[in-house]
This record gives sequence, structure tokens and C-alpha cells, in this order.
Amino acid sequence: MTTPDSMPVPPKGAVPDAAAGRDPALDPGIEDPIFSVHGLSLHYGDKQALHDISIEIPRNRITAFIGPSGCGKSTFLRCFNRLNDLLDNVTIRGDILFEGRSIFSPEVEINTLRRRIGMVFQKSNPFPKSIYENIAYGPRIHGVRDRRRLDEIVERSLRAAALWDEVKDRLHDNALGLSGGQQQRLCIARAIAVEPDVVLLDEPCSALDPLATARIEELMQDLKENYTLIIVTHSMQQASRVSDYTAFLYLGRLIEYGVTEQLFIKPRKKETEDYITGRFG
Amino acid sequence: MPLARRIPPGTRQPGGEPRRIRGTTARRRLAADRFGRWLVAAGGVGIIATILGILLFILIEVWPLFGGARVEPLAGVRDARLDPAALVIDEYRTHAVSLDRDGRVRIVDLERGVVDDELPLAGDVGAPDGPPTALAPVSGRPVVAGGFADGRVVVRTVSFAISFDDTGRRLVAPEVSAPTVLAAPGTEGRTVVRLAVAASPAGDELAVAAAWADGTLHVFHTTREENDFTGEVETSVEDRPLEPLAGGPPAALAVSARGERVLAATADGRLALYEAGDPRPSSVSGPGAPVTALTWLVGDRAAVVGRKDGAIEVWFPIRDRGETRSRIVFVRAFPPRDAPIAVLAPSLRNKGFVALDRGGGAGLYHSTSRRTLWRGEAGEAARTLVLAPRADGLLVGGSGQLALWRVDNPHPEISLGTLFGKVWYEGYPGPAWVWQSTGGTDDAEPKLSLVPLLVGTLKGTFYSLILAIPIGVLGAMYASQFMHPRLRNAVKPVVEIMAALPSVVLGFLAGLWLAPLIQRVFPGLLLTLVLVPLAVIAAGAVWHRLPARLRHRVPDGLEVVAFAAAIVAAMWLSFELSPWVESMVFGGSFPDWIHAVSGIPYDQRNAVIVGIAMGFAVIPIIFSVAEDAFSNVPRTLISGSLALGASRWQTVTRIVLPTASPGIFSAVMIGFGRAIGETMIVLMATGNTPIMSWFPFNGFRTLSANIAVEIPEAPYGGTLYRTLFFSALLLFALTFVINTVAEVVRQRLRGRYADL
Repeated sequence: MTTPDSMPVPPKGAVPDAAAGRDPALDPGIEDPIFSVHGLSLHYGDKQALHDISIEIPRNRITAFIGPSGCGKSTFLRCFNRLNDLLDNVTIRGDILFEGRSIFSPEVEINTLRRRIGMVFQKSNPFPKSIYENIAYGPRIHGVRDRRRLDEIVERSLRAAALWDEVKDRLHDNALGLSGGQQQRLCIARAIAVEPDVVLLDEPCSALDPLATARIEELMQDLKENYTLIIVTHSMQQASRVSDYTAFLYLGRLIEYGVTEQLFIKPRKKETEDYITGRFG
Repeated sequence: MPLARRIPPGTRQPGGEPRRIRGTTARRRLAADRFGRWLVAAGGVGIIATILGILLFILIEVWPLFGGARVEPLAGVRDARLDPAALVIDEYRTHAVSLDRDGRVRIVDLERGVVDDELPLAGDVGAPDGPPTALAPVSGRPVVAGGFADGRVVVRTVSFAISFDDTGRRLVAPEVSAPTVLAAPGTEGRTVVRLAVAASPAGDELAVAAAWADGTLHVFHTTREENDFTGEVETSVEDRPLEPLAGGPPAALAVSARGERVLAATADGRLALYEAGDPRPSSVSGPGAPVTALTWLVGDRAAVVGRKDGAIEVWFPIRDRGETRSRIVFVRAFPPRDAPIAVLAPSLRNKGFVALDRGGGAGLYHSTSRRTLWRGEAGEAARTLVLAPRADGLLVGGSGQLALWRVDNPHPEISLGTLFGKVWYEGYPGPAWVWQSTGGTDDAEPKLSLVPLLVGTLKGTFYSLILAIPIGVLGAMYASQFMHPRLRNAVKPVVEIMAALPSVVLGFLAGLWLAPLIQRVFPGLLLTLVLVPLAVIAAGAVWHRLPARLRHRVPDGLEVVAFAAAIVAAMWLSFELSPWVESMVFGGSFPDWIHAVSGIPYDQRNAVIVGIAMGFAVIPIIFSVAEDAFSNVPRTLISGSLALGASRWQTVTRIVLPTASPGIFSAVMIGFGRAIGETMIVLMATGNTPIMSWFPFNGFRTLSANIAVEIPEAPYGGTLYRTLFFSALLLFALTFVINTVAEVVRQRLRGRYADL
């Protein structure tokens, strides 16, 4: 695990600075966060799904959101690229700062925002096109026309997603002919083809067998060098295996947020402990 | 008990009691299951059987169209005195009159097989020396004529008086009229060598063409007029000399019923056409094999020519536009016979005729359909033949005998060639596709080409689909992908209610309200094509410039309300400007302008009206199916595309549209199927003129509307009736082929997007 100099990792097991008036259970003391969430609440119509969440996401790290089903972790993830905008009846209060600027500001071009914040979905969703066209789709809509450049992007993305060797001979076959794990890696390759800063992963392994899951987890470790990853997972093992920071959400509230090892070994909140020890969830 | 059967014999069945309980439940379930399966299967098979049954019924009705004629011997008469040169037969095929070569007219009872009576042709008008020197061949009409060595021509008509006896039996009494003697000045003492006779259907007019040994030609036209008050019969004779042919008397002659057209064949096989008002021939054809038989077909607008080499040809007199004289034009030939043609006798019912060759071979033909309906042997002794007035009998006469044949020839005028090919009809300047099932006169032939109707069907479909496909598909795309859900939930049912409008209402509105309206404001309609898109673009530009805060107040998908206002305003402006545009651009009247520009007159009920009215009927179908197709595109694909930073428009055009394409294709095809079979709208909103034109401002007639228009006029079992069934079969096949192609294409498209 390599770490850029500008981004010191908190010493393992260290207790964050409590003197600054922060709640140590919610703030592991992240410097230069890529996202800062301030008091985010979300309503579906009358029903409140997220309650006043404030969190800071570290750059070039893997952050995991865990919690029982229906706790709002996927909804929360979809706030980062404003995918909730598509839904009717959603009202959002609070703010998310991306690189210090609000993503909800009218000046933000939503298409540019989403290019910079990629997403991989729970169910792999390759387009009904060829493998090549799946990868080239993103660059094309952002104006890349040159065939040579597209070839380059396709190869680089597929290599980054560790899929190149498996599909290089059938780039022009329909992507729907790939296996489930390959399809999911294709979706990751597709997401990184547009060179985002962040990749949001919404339970990317929930439909995959353990072998395919292992490959994706391995891939995430490689991607961490260049991208900030946020993963939603219902598997605590996965969160503890892959992530650097973990946030535990319960009933739409952020219960605890901290360095992964510390949160799993020595949770500060009772609910967290109950959840990770399997008393509920 | 299927469950028990599955247990292999000899297996110990554990726990009898629970098994029995399981067994009873299963049996009841299985019975219900079996019943359900049977019911569903019966329903499915029933539908297939019904459709096949309909198809079978249509096929049964259509099949006789393409059968040939059946000719079977019915009766015969033997009498050594008979040696007919011409024959007359009555409607009921009970009596015949034979004009024999010995100059005597013999009346034959065909039922009893005896000669009833005989009398000399010349009668008591003074016995000329010897038998006639020329006898007119069979004309099909009840008239006989002979020419004598003294230059006189004698004509007698035959009538068959019908009465009924006490038991209701029909009695036919043949009666031969008193002889009419025709003589032309300057022909006294010269031998008559060639003769042709004809009569009008009512029998009040007779025409005789005669040629004398020195080549003199005359045509006589007699008119019989009965005074309604006194009952006196007055007969007037018009004698018209014709210029003699070069090379001696004609080899064959034919005259029309009113004497206005005479066709004469020269010794070298040329045909000379004489017309009323001119003693010189209007037209002479090129040479050919010597002509041995010549006759006009019923209606006198087509001549059949039989030649020494066995050729049978049809020739038309064609009068070109602006000409006063006709040309005699070769139209078609039939397969030649092995021996010279001896006799050609026309049918009085249709454009058919019978031919007899010198080898005794006979044939039944139809001119228009070019069909040889029957070929047979009449025997070496056969000299002449005639078709019965109802074309249901064939009387063949030979030396010492007559033979009556029964003819069953229901649909001689139909062939695939007449239904689909270009046909040269009588009186037309050239081959054409024409639908005209009935004519102004009795001897006009039905013209039953389905091509104008097919063109009309495709024209109506084309004009409605060019309106309905863009509106239906784009509307569905907008509604499913861009419109606010609340608005969509209101719009979709409203559009679907449009589909429930009875098409007769649409047709009525289109024909009586829309057609006159469009005629008045068509320039406005054209203007909307320009102004509405401009208005939308302008509204979009204004919308874009509005302060962001104001724009964000309107939920996504509700901005359409503001745009709708712009569209309505643009339409209003278009129609307000219509009179102004009409006077500025179209010289005050659009219909006159389009007539002047295209040379085709503007019809009030035209293809544009149908396009709009039928488009109105088709739009909801296309919209509804296409909207489902768009909505069925998985949300995950749309999210996936948006999450990559694609705009909604990019997502719709690059992901949603291709993925929904099988469904959109289905939508278009279902709309196509609806448009092609639509009847009431095209029936009421077009003039139903079966013309071949793709011009948008005239009418057309579709296959379906044609069935609706003509079926009341079609007698059961007749040719028109079966032809209408054939057009139904064609519609059936058309829909079947389109649906099959659509399904194959859809399955193939779907294969590309499987596993979604």
C-alpha cells in the first residue's frame, strides 16, 4: 500500500484528536478531504431517509459504508453524483462539497460532475453493445472521436480493470456474453474510461461468487493509487478487507466513522459493536 | 393416478397413510392442472383453426376463378339434309336454325333431335338461279343472310317465341321472318362472293357487308322502327358503297351491328378498316398470312382474325387523340392452331369467342384475359359452330349432323395476367392497369386489375404513416423519457382513448369537415411545418436565457406546458397568415395553383386528408406500443449512462433508442397493419377513385374500401364477387407477410438485446 506524501494516514489504532471539539466517533481527522458532507438530510416525499449526515471522505483511499439493509447507505452514495435527481419527490437539505465546491450549486454542470465521479452499480449493467463500444461510450459522449485514441482508452481501461487479457480477442462481441464477474469488471473499466477522480461502488460484489469477488477486491486495491473509491457493502468482511475508512450507518444516521481496523476491533459506539458482532443486521 | 405410476414397481412405499393424503391432493391439483391446460390448448387451437377456416373459406370462394371451361356433349341431331354454313341457336338451347349450303333454312328441334321444318332462304321473293353464291358466316345473332348470282342479298331474322303450356312447361317456337332483299345499284347480275351480317342486341338494327365478284363493296344498315300508336313497322335501309380493295374481292368480311365499322381482309392478308362517313379505308394493316375467318367481338370494338397458318389474332381500331379516323392495331395473339382457321364465332356474353379449324379442332378463348379456356375435337366433318346466347352451349354443325355441347365457363375474364398485369382493354390506346368493375353499356367489359387498388392501399398507408410514425414514436420517446411522470400519467390514457374513437367517426369528420377546411387553409397547414419548429426553437432559446433560479422552479418535464403554449401560438399564427400566404405565394387559390403546377386537379378528398385522419387513428397505437418499449428499457442502463456523465438526450439516443428498437419496430408494424386494413376512413375521406398516382392531392381507392364499395354490386358466385374475395385474400396475405417479416426482424433485434 503506497501512500502519497501529502496524505498521511493516521497511525493505526490512534485515537483522533478529541481536543478540537470533534466527536472522535464521527471524525477520524481527515486532512484535505475530497468530499465534505455537511448536515445532509434527504426525504423521499414525507419519509426521511437520511438524517443530518456530516462526513469527510479522504482522497485516494477506499471508504466503505456499512450498515443493515435499508439504512440509507445506497441512497447516501447516490447523493455524491446526484443520481437521486432522477427520482421524483426527492428533497435534499445540507451540502456536499466536492473539491471544496458545492455539487448542488446551479453553476455545476451535472454532466461534468458525473464524469468526474464515476459509479459502479450493484447489478452489472453493461449496455447492449460490444465490449469495445461499452468502454468507448463514455469517452465518445465527452467528445473523443479519434479512433486511435479510443483504442488506447479501451485498452488502458480494460487493463486497469484486469479484463484485457480475457477479452482482447473478442472486443467486438456483445458484452452481454460475458460472465457476471467479467461484466462487473467491464462496468468498472467503463467507469474509469472517462478518467474520473472518484469511483462510487454500490455493492459491486453482491451478485458475484467468491472468486469473482476476490478479483474485484484485488482490483480495488490497484485502483486506489489513482482514484478515490467509496464502496457500499453489506458484507463486513469485505469492508474490513478492502477499506481504509469505514462508516457505519443505521436508520439513516451516521453512527460511527473511523479508520477501518479501529472501527472493527474497537468500536466506540454500542450499536456499531452490536452490528459487527452480528447481534442484529 | 400419475403420482403412483412414478413409483417403480416393487418399491416399498413408506408410510401408506401420508402417501394417500399426498395422493388425493395431487390428484385434485393434477385434474385442475390438466383441465386448465386443456382449456388453454383448446383456446389456442381454436384461434388457429378459426383463422385457417377463414382462409379456407376465402380460398374456396376464390378457387373457381382460375379454373378453365368444361365442355361436354349434350345432344346430337343426324339428318342428311343438313349442311350448315351458319347456325342460330336459342337462349334455352332447345332449337337451332341452320342455314345450309343448298340455300335452305332448316329449323331443328335439338331436344327431339329432328328437323322440324325447312324453307328456301330467298322465299317467295322470286327464285334466283341456283343456290346462294355466298352465305354469311355465324354472327352469334339470330340472323342469316345469303347472296345470289343475280347480285341480290337476302336477309332473314330468326325469333324464338316463348310460351308456357298448362303444366308450366316452356315452349319455344322458332320463327323465321320474311326475307329482306338488299340490292345495290350497279350490282345487278353480278355474283355476290362474300357476305357478313350483324345485328344489334335488341334486333332492331341489322348490318350487312357484301362483296361482289368485281370487287364492289357495299354496307347496308337497316333500322326497324315500330310506331307505338299504330303498330306499323317501318324499315329503312341505308346503303353505303365502299371503295374496292386493291387485288379483288376481300378474302373475309366483318361488319359491326350498326354498320359503322367494316373490316375486310385482302388476298395478301392485310386488314382494311372502313368507318362511317368515309368510303375509303381509314387504315390498312401490313400483309400477313391469308385471312380465313374474321369477326367482331361483342361490342364491335375488337376484331378476331383467323389465318391460313392457324394464327388467331385480336386487333383493335384505335382512334388517337384529336384524330377522326381510327388505326387498326394488332393487340394480341393466341397460340396458333395446326390447321387454317375456318370459323370464328363471338360470345354474346363476354369478350370470348370460339374457333374451329379445318382439321376439326375447336377451342374456346377469351380475348381480354388471353386465356385458352378449352381445346377439343369437333370432328373432321365439322363445318361451323356457334355459341349459345348465354354462352352456356356450343352448337357444332357438320355435313349431315349437329352436335350440342354444354359449356361451363364461369370466369373466363380472370387470369393472374388481368389481375396484376397491364391489359390492353378495348377502346384504350395501350395496355393499362384499370379497375372498373361495371361499364356504362352492356357490352363494356369489366376491368378487374388489382394493381390500382394495391397502389391506393400503399398510398393511403404511406401518407398516414409519414405523419403517424414521427409523431407516435417521438411523442412516446418524449413522454417516457423526458415528460414529468405526473403529466405522463395523464397523457398516456388520453392518447389511448384516441384509439378507441370509431373510425367511421374519424372518416365522417375527415370527409365532411376536415376536407373542406384543409382546402381553404392548406397554405396555413404548410406554414405550420415551418413556424412550429421555429417556435419550439425560439421557446427553447428563451427558456435557456431565463434566470437559472426561475428555470429550476419548474420541475423537469413540466417545461412542456410552456412549450405547448408556443406551439399553439405558432399554429394560430400559421392559420391567420394562411390567406395572406395564399394570395402572395399561390396566386390567390392553392388548389388552382397546384393544378397549374402539377397538371393534376386538386381533389377535395385527397391523400393528405386521409394521411391526417388515418394518422389520427394510427398515432395512438404506435404511441402506446412505443411508449411501452421505451419504458421497458431497464433503469439500470439509463442510470449507467447518466453516471458516466451522458446528458439525457445522449442517453436517450444512444442507449434507450437502440435498446427499445425491437419494440419500436413492432409499434411501427402494428401501425402499418392497422393502416393497411383500415376501411371506413379511406372509404369516407377519399373519392374512392381507383387511380394509379402517388400525387398527394388526389384520391385513391384501397383494397379494403373497394370490397366495401363493390360487394353490394357483386352477385353471389359471380366473377366480381370472387375477385373481391381474391382481394381479401391478398389483404390477408399482405398482412400475414408484413407481420411475419416484422416478427422475424423483431426477434433478430431482440436477440441482440437479450438477457437484459
